[in-house]
Amino acid sequence: MQSRRGRIAIFCVLGLLGLILLVYGLRFHTANISPKQGQDAAKFAKSEPNLIKEVSIGGVKRDNSGKIKQTYTEKEEAPKACPT
Amino acid sequence: MVKKVNLATKLVSWRMWIQSAFLIIWLDPLGLRMHGMCAPVFHCYACPLATFACPIGVMAQFSALHVFPFIAIGLLVAVGVLFGSLICGWVCPFGFLQDLVGKVPTPKFDLPKWTGHFRYVVLIGAVLAIPYFFGEGHPLFVCRICPAGALEAGVPSMTQQALAGESIVWPNALKLTILGLFLLAIFFVRRPWCRVLCPLGAIFSLFNRVSAFFLQVDKKKCADCKRCHKLCELGIEPEESPNSLSCIRCLECIKCGPGAIRLANVFRRPKEQAASAR
Repeated sequence: MQSRRGRIAIFCVLGLLGLILLVYGLRFHTANISPKQGQDAAKFAKSEPNLIKEVSIGGVKRDNSGKIKQTYTEKEEAPKACPT
Repeated sequence: MVKKVNLATKLVSWRMWIQSAFLIIWLDPLGLRMHGMCAPVFHCYACPLATFACPIGVMAQFSALHVFPFIAIGLLVAVGVLFGSLICGWVCPFGFLQDLVGKVPTPKFDLPKWTGHFRYVVLIGAVLAIPYFFGEGHPLFVCRICPAGALEAGVPSMTQQALAGESIVWPNALKLTILGLFLLAIFFVRRPWCRVLCPLGAIFSLFNRVSAFFLQVDKKKCADCKRCHKLCELGIEPEESPNSLSCIRCLECIKCGPGAIRLANVFRRPKEQAASAR
């Protein structure tokens, strides 16, 4: 069993790491998404919270070429529920 | 002389009420649908009543997209290092469901300890590797086999479709089979999902030995009466391995007669903790 100091050190390091990851994800991390149609259409960036919302309804998928693609267009309605 | 009981021991008798209070938070009574953020519990975001996103679902979906899930991992590390498996025992709605059904007076069977290792197989296989290499369409993708998803999202969705007179979209056969087995198992085994398959519990259990809140055994007080073995519903021997990977920290064991087991934390000096436990 670790000493109290050891526990405090682990707590501080991992706690800080968790907070850094969380804040980075919430504030700065984005993913490039390709629109559903048009290979040449410009990609757009989605923040991680928005990407979480999209995956929860099956709004984005990774295609065979490795691109993350939206599964609906601006004219279409977004899926309402998770496809699984 | 009146024996002073510490806060954790008092709280144990209120555990179900605390779980109920958290359940209200997860069931989105205000209709906030904050699905851009994860909660540290196992509650499907496809559920019509879900405030936050499920971190396991997010990790699996992001793995399928080949994107690192900073929010989900960051949250689980931060919460895990603070509380460890206390989340499983006190906060998780899926654990609460199993606790409630566990109150039904049916014969209860114990599981071999090695079955707990399946949780890591599910975490590495169905949550990380299969989505990464085969995408979200694979039949063993975690959301496609998850009983929480089937129960919290599939069943309400099918009910809604039936009430609206629409054709019912059934979940896949494997998911329904796992749901059926789960519903049967919860009557005869304590917390079967948490003990054998839960990938979120697998993550939190890894923090049990380093988390800020942890179980501590005072060997001087321990009378070796083995009462803690009887109090533990998961078949752990708390006085030998108080921070076992299988522990969900329901804290029932701290009710042992001699008071040898207690919930300690890193924020208080050992002397202060010992004094408060007296």
